[in-house]
Amino acid sequence: MSWPDDVVERAEVMVAKYPESRSAVMPLLYLAMREDKGLTLDGMRQVADYTGLTPVQVESVASFYSMYKRDSVGDYIVSVCTSISCHLLGGDEVLEAVAEETGVPPGETGSDGRLSVEGVECIGACGGAPAVQVNYELVEGVTPDSARRLCRWLADDQPVVISSDQMQADFGGIRSFEWGPAEPGGATGPVPAFGPLGTEGQRS
Amino acid sequence: MSDRITIMLDGRPVEVDAGVLLIQAAQDAGTYIPRFCWHPRMNPVGMCRMCLVEVEGPGGTMLTTSCTVPVSEGMVVHTASETVKKAQEGVLEFLLINHPLDCPVCDRGGECPLQDQTMAFGPGESRYVEEKRHFEKPIPISDLVMLDRERCILCARCVRFSDDIAGDPLIEFLDRGNYTQVNTFADEPFASYFSGNTVQICPVGALTATPYRFRARPWDLEAVESVCAGCSVGCRVSVQSSQNEILRLLGVDVEATNHGWLCDKGRFGFQHLAAPDRLTTPLVRGEDGELHEASWSDALDRAARGLAAIVDSSGEGAVAGLGGSRSTNEEALAFERLMRHTIGTPHLDAAMGDALDARLLAAAPRRGLIGDLEQASTVLVWGPDLREELPVLYLRVRRAVAELGAGLVVVHPRASGLDTIADHVVRYRPGEGGALLARLAAGDGDLAEVRSALDDGPVVAIVGRTGLTEDGDLAGAVAGFAAELPDASVLAVSRRSNLYGAIDMGLAPGMGPGRVGEDPGRDADGIVEGLRDGSVKGLVLLGADPAGDHPSGTAGDALSRAEFVVSIDLFINDSNRGADVVLPAAGFAEVEGTMTNLEGRVQKVNRLVPAPGQARPANEILADLADRLGGKWESSTAESLASDIATLVPYADVSWEALDRGTGGDGILARGGDVVYSVPTVSTSVGNGMALHLGRVLYDRGTALMMDPSLAKLTQKPVLHLHPDDASSLGVAVGDQVRVSGSDGSAEVDAAVDPSLSPGVVYLPFNLGVSVGSDPSVTVEKVT
Ligand code: SF4
Ligand code: SF4
Ligand code: FES
Ligand code: FES
Repeated sequence: MSWPDDVVERAEVMVAKYPESRSAVMPLLYLAMREDKGLTLDGMRQVADYTGLTPVQVESVASFYSMYKRDSVGDYIVSVCTSISCHLLGGDEVLEAVAEETGVPPGETGSDGRLSVEGVECIGACGGAPAVQVNYELVEGVTPDSARRLCRWLADDQPVVISSDQMQADFGGIRSFEWGPAEPGGATGPVPAFGPLGTEGQRS
Repeated sequence: MSDRITIMLDGRPVEVDAGVLLIQAAQDAGTYIPRFCWHPRMNPVGMCRMCLVEVEGPGGTMLTTSCTVPVSEGMVVHTASETVKKAQEGVLEFLLINHPLDCPVCDRGGECPLQDQTMAFGPGESRYVEEKRHFEKPIPISDLVMLDRERCILCARCVRFSDDIAGDPLIEFLDRGNYTQVNTFADEPFASYFSGNTVQICPVGALTATPYRFRARPWDLEAVESVCAGCSVGCRVSVQSSQNEILRLLGVDVEATNHGWLCDKGRFGFQHLAAPDRLTTPLVRGEDGELHEASWSDALDRAARGLAAIVDSSGEGAVAGLGGSRSTNEEALAFERLMRHTIGTPHLDAAMGDALDARLLAAAPRRGLIGDLEQASTVLVWGPDLREELPVLYLRVRRAVAELGAGLVVVHPRASGLDTIADHVVRYRPGEGGALLARLAAGDGDLAEVRSALDDGPVVAIVGRTGLTEDGDLAGAVAGFAAELPDASVLAVSRRSNLYGAIDMGLAPGMGPGRVGEDPGRDADGIVEGLRDGSVKGLVLLGADPAGDHPSGTAGDALSRAEFVVSIDLFINDSNRGADVVLPAAGFAEVEGTMTNLEGRVQKVNRLVPAPGQARPANEILADLADRLGGKWESSTAESLASDIATLVPYADVSWEALDRGTGGDGILARGGDVVYSVPTVSTSVGNGMALHLGRVLYDRGTALMMDPSLAKLTQKPVLHLHPDDASSLGVAVGDQVRVSGSDGSAEVDAAVDPSLSPGVVYLPFNLGVSVGSDPSVTVEKVT
């Protein structure tokens, strides 16, 4: 029902970052989604409690954005871009490779609940196409081959923290532009809302 | 008066108010611009694009939404150009792409803005041949409202109303793009006291009200304007019927009171009028002790004989009258005449021991208007939970605060509806209000900030009884304090619908018609006391149910000791079940007359349907009764009583004629009169043990409400609310049974936890079927 202490602590840090608690709705939704492997009614109710919104207002936000998953998802969501730039540079093959390597067809979640695979529209990294996200952390310049390695890494190492920088170093190729530095010690990673899903694992 | 500017509207210069939205300005100038999402009582969003017009500007002539653009001097506007027509046709074609066009089975058909505007402004034909989107046909989003998402045109009127106006954001847009739909959270229905307004303002048939669904076609309806009799706000309504049965009420937009809104209790509280249990013939108690049907003349004879016998044996003062607060002014005046003049007793009261001093209600110091809220800098609410008792006044306060930026101070023993938007919330223990007032007035300690907030005038103070264990004089003392605040206006509030009118008609001890002094008499408490000790033997009830409504909860027992009781009512209830004569009266929309709201505003109520069976208007019944008691009344019809009312000083300007046409929808204010309210001082006894807060809820077990099938199911079961500390020290968990014992009995109820209470205070909703008396001091124990 209610979140474990460390998640609660994180939620509180996030809420405190904003002058109005309702502004924390989006990062909190990632937290809720991570916690329950997909957004549940309970999770949205929790977010409502923290933000002073009503549950339906939270659901309104959650259902507007396709990156909030209301069906259950795996520990890792692998999103492969299939929009135009990535498509031209082999994104479809990357997706195929991911599906084959993991045995999870696009749009589905593996039976062990570990991993979800999806083809997505442009994720804003066209300059580094083909691009892939794992838990919305970006890796650019991916090939079918490096995608397979990435999938094996996820399966074998089961990393707790997904970091864009690390993935880029291990599996990436050309990069569209340099990401800004992570906020030191903050509750958020380079892409504010995504912190709770990945980079922000190492908050001291 | 706001500034006037000139704009060019379709080639003619027109003068309009500066700063208003173009769509409004055009309408004021007689040009109707079609619209769906814009509503004059809500902020514009520009969502539907139906209101596109061309506005000439330096960069050329551009299509723009007239609901989002304020007028400016010299603006050149085209509302019917070829471009505008094309835009309107395009918008309508788009809106209809996914619209099911099931008009023949849609409640809205015949009065549907989408239908009407498609006929007036649409292309006449659609190019869309693909499959429309589909949703499950109507789904209930509350007990009262159904939603058909296929019909919805996503104008967000309902969403905005529920959030911005009602403060109950329980419906929202879900999903996105072509899949966008209005809906509620899975397990949280649209349980707002104001949900019916969304049905009224939905520009299509997407939202429908369960009591009205499939009951009538708009063109079959007859309608009159009247006033809601649900509470003393006096919201203006259009009452609509078909085949002599009332089928729905719609809010009428009146600046002074409701701005077009109604609460659900008012909107849907009409079904009892056609309830099978409605009294349709006079009843007289027979030898066998049962009530039997009787003819009017037998019943009236019997009633007159019974009352006369008591007067003969024990004097006029042994007869008392209770009620009239649900009647029209005309009926109330007839009741006053019967009691005070024909019978000759000073003991009469329209209140049930649950209101405030009649003088305070009729003549509060610096008595204000609801409309004063529009200018208020600060609003003080030290009274009932307005959302529960005076719902549309709650909306007006919400507007003053959330929309117009007034500060808000709420003083109440527990969380109340307005807390979320209040700047200061002060809680206290019932019984200790006097001490709190003294501390507040002095700006003591933690109250310093609250006190200084109240120095920001104009201040509107809404005072009343926070609960029924509260000393009614406290509100008077608060009114006295508030009247001294800068530019203060004071609204002394009490809930029952025409209580203010009844008081003005003299249905209060010591106060005659027109707010003049009269011989002192017993009030409701005194009458109940007199019944108990035998000094009051005969009782006339006019639409009154003291057994259910008197805060002690023991009036029923007192009533059973009466020698002779005559009741004029719509139903059998706990008070008249044992009466000797029960006379069936006509009710809401069955009589013509006037009612006076909490600010002294007199409005006309009108007749639309005949009363069932032999039920008659109360004034006629009372006149016939008076006749048999030797009273020689000049006037007994409602019209003639109305002209008598117009001779009372505060009502000098009030005539049916003026109300019906002259002065317009805002009614006429009846102010002034002789009566002066002297502000009482209240003492505080700091109680020991638990203090009971006996608060009202909107859906209680009042007789009429229980006869409304749509509303009866919304009543909750009684629950005793405890502060978490008290709950744990009593070892009580949520849902456990507790026994609460008070001055007049004890009851076993479920417990709930309410951290908004002060420790040592418990809250029990009034009139949900349990009562323990109205003394603040109670004991609570766990039932094992
Ligand atoms: S349900 Fe009606 S009021 Fe609500 S958004 Fe749809 S069309 Fe507008
Ligand atoms: S607030 Fe009162 S008068 Fe207005 S609709 Fe509700 S019950 Fe009727
Ligand atoms: S097209 Fe793939 S990131 Fe933009
Ligand atoms: S009425 Fe102006 S956009 Fe809807």
